Amino acid sequence: MLKIIIPTIMLMPLTWLSKKNMIWINTTTYSLLISLISLSLLNQPSNNSLNFSLMFFSDPLSAPLLVLTTWLLPLMLMASQHHLSKEPLTRKKLYITMLTMLQTFLIMTFTATELISFYILFEATLVPTLIIITRWGNQTERLNAGLYFLFYTLMGSLPLLVALISIQNLTGSLNFLLIQYWNQALPDSWSNIFLWLACMMAFMVKMPLYGLHLWLPKAHVEAPIAGSMVLAAILLKLGGYGMLRITTMLNPQTSFMAYPFLMLSLWGMIMTSSICLRQTDLKSLIAYSSVSHMALVIVAVLIQTPWSYMGATALMIAHGLTSSMLFCLANSNYERTHSRTMILARGLQTLLPLMAAWWLLASLTNLALPPSINLIGELFVVMSSFSWSNITIILMGANITITALYSLYMLITTQRGKYTHHINSIKPSFTRENALMALHMTPLLLLSLNPKIILGFTY
Amino acid sequence: MNPLIFTTILMTVLLGTMIVMMSSHWLMIWIGFEMNLLAIIPILMKKYNPRTMEASTKYFLTQATASMLLMMAIIINLMHSGQWTITKVFNPTASIIMTSALAMKLGLTPFHFWVPEVTQGISLTSGLILLTWQKLAPMSILYQISPSINLNILLTMAVLSILVGGWGGLNQTQLRKIMAYSSIAHMGWMTAVLVYNPTLTMLNMLIYIMMTLTMFMLFIHSSSTTMLSLSHTWNKTPLTTTLILITLLSMGGLPPLSGFMPKWMIIQELTKNSSIILPTLMAIMALLNLYFYMRLTYSTSLTMFPSTNNMKMKWQFETKRITLLPPLIVMSSLLLPLTPMLSILD
Repeated sequence: MLKIIIPTIMLMPLTWLSKKNMIWINTTTYSLLISLISLSLLNQPSNNSLNFSLMFFSDPLSAPLLVLTTWLLPLMLMASQHHLSKEPLTRKKLYITMLTMLQTFLIMTFTATELISFYILFEATLVPTLIIITRWGNQTERLNAGLYFLFYTLMGSLPLLVALISIQNLTGSLNFLLIQYWNQALPDSWSNIFLWLACMMAFMVKMPLYGLHLWLPKAHVEAPIAGSMVLAAILLKLGGYGMLRITTMLNPQTSFMAYPFLMLSLWGMIMTSSICLRQTDLKSLIAYSSVSHMALVIVAVLIQTPWSYMGATALMIAHGLTSSMLFCLANSNYERTHSRTMILARGLQTLLPLMAAWWLLASLTNLALPPSINLIGELFVVMSSFSWSNITIILMGANITITALYSLYMLITTQRGKYTHHINSIKPSFTRENALMALHMTPLLLLSLNPKIILGFTY
Repeated sequence: MNPLIFTTILMTVLLGTMIVMMSSHWLMIWIGFEMNLLAIIPILMKKYNPRTMEASTKYFLTQATASMLLMMAIIINLMHSGQWTITKVFNPTASIIMTSALAMKLGLTPFHFWVPEVTQGISLTSGLILLTWQKLAPMSILYQISPSINLNILLTMAVLSILVGGWGGLNQTQLRKIMAYSSIAHMGWMTAVLVYNPTLTMLNMLIYIMMTLTMFMLFIHSSSTTMLSLSHTWNKTPLTTTLILITLLSMGGLPPLSGFMPKWMIIQELTKNSSIILPTLMAIMALLNLYFYMRLTYSTSLTMFPSTNNMKMKWQFETKRITLLPPLIVMSSLLLPLTPMLSILD
């Protein structure tokens, strides 16, 4: 695993020592090369994990997430070029350093074996993200957004630290390679109920669960484009990944402890989808749609059946790519009109037809059109939740309908209709932007040809 | 002050602490504390104005009271055990009185009221000595009597200190008061683990001293004593703002910085001894501390705070010389991967 981590760390000296006209070229190129290395991990020979050392491993769940993380860094760098073009050189280098640091921590988080190491790196991802949001965001609300983001996450994760240490006392080791074999049922007691809560709340806040989701619209909206991309695509999936890992240790409490969270998620996905229909702010719409999709993942993880785990993993990867692409599209609007209001940038199909094609593809994957992997994820989750309880099909069906409604609403508002009169002086699409969208869309479409690599370890 | 006199007085402060840390006779320890106290008063009063006089008087009164209580505990111990050697203090009365006396010297709740006011009244360098060096002597005595301390009293004082340190610092804009409340909270963390594993108290003390030294050096470098003047550092030395950011996040206990190491180790030690609610409560209350550090970073590093038009005038003044800042910064932020080297402290 060091063959990925050390090159990523080395991207930092690369940025600081590059010449002024070469920083973007160097970093984007080398981060693309690093993502090619991580693709080799997708070749998982069996259901067991590939163990590289005592500290790093990769298994069919973490390999697709790792590939997504490394794929996203060059995309983030490409997306940030425009809004940083007027900044002094040192600040550009600082921004790229923050992104690289975040990338390093994320790679190490997804491949950590020891759960305390996972925790430390999970927390460590907060610091660069906080700095990106509060330093380079665009509105004054970014300060509040950073505080909400930091404190919601920390409040949930400090009990997780205590819980992990007490599990280490009980079982002797927190190394994931061992735990999967040593697993015993947790005895039934009040303190184990609190242990369950302490373990899960950190990831619930990160996902986010519907009642604890207040930080997400703030953070996503106020972050610059790279911050939004990484938040939507990867950091939310950290919560899902953590939940998938830690629920293996938490039986049998999960069978009854999961009910409140299932109810919150099922209701929450409808609520947040409905809120999307009434949003005027484009980024806020995409942020709430993230909450809605992640609520599906929470439902899938808490039901704990093989099909639901497959659905959760597929949905995480699919949503990562789709949501990141939607944020890039919203950012291309923002860079031209300097406003996030949807109706100020409508009727773009006549002005930017190629971008309209990307908008169409992104909206179609967001509403889970067959045969995209979004559909596969959602379908597996719907089917497994139906087998868990027949009534949930009503809520799931309603959610799919409302998701389709707001995705099409977003598409129609921004692309169709007559353009506004103030908008005919916008710059045409850059090649960089088209390349960015293509690089998002191509993996998404190609994966629908071979989805088994993203279906996780229960395939 | 005449440099020779100043050196002599400073050496007396050092000598006092050394005597406390190295003696095995209770009377010598008390003498060490008194020497320390008497010698530090002129250092606290380096600038001669009524505010400094008030701060020094408050410091003297509280510390002298604490020394008298310590003497009383020593005498009770002498009565019951018949000897002057430092060992665990077997008599519970003497133990409780001694713990209270040392808590007064350290600034633990409920004896914390002098810390913000004294720290605010003195100059930054004196405040530095007050909050770092002066904590060494009482902590070393607590370390030595740790097997016999009443757990209930100590843990109550520790948890209350963390709460007071957190909530007290929320309404402050003066940097020295912020550092004082942070000191109260950190002392709480240190004493919480004292009975379980005193090595971790020493670790926390070490890391706390490094971080506080770094913070004070950075404040001295930008000659700022309020949040507002600290927010002007981006005009003069933008690099300092990054260093302030890193050090403050480290003090708040965020991984992957080294400030997380003592908190993690303390939580681990407490959990191993089957107290689960206590470390959870302590960790969540430490978030209050993090909130006002974050506020400080917001005005200093993460925004370009509005400043007056003649900031360029500040470029003409010499920057004060700060000793050892680079190694301190490195040590206060990057030590977390070296956690397995904890075994050195045993």
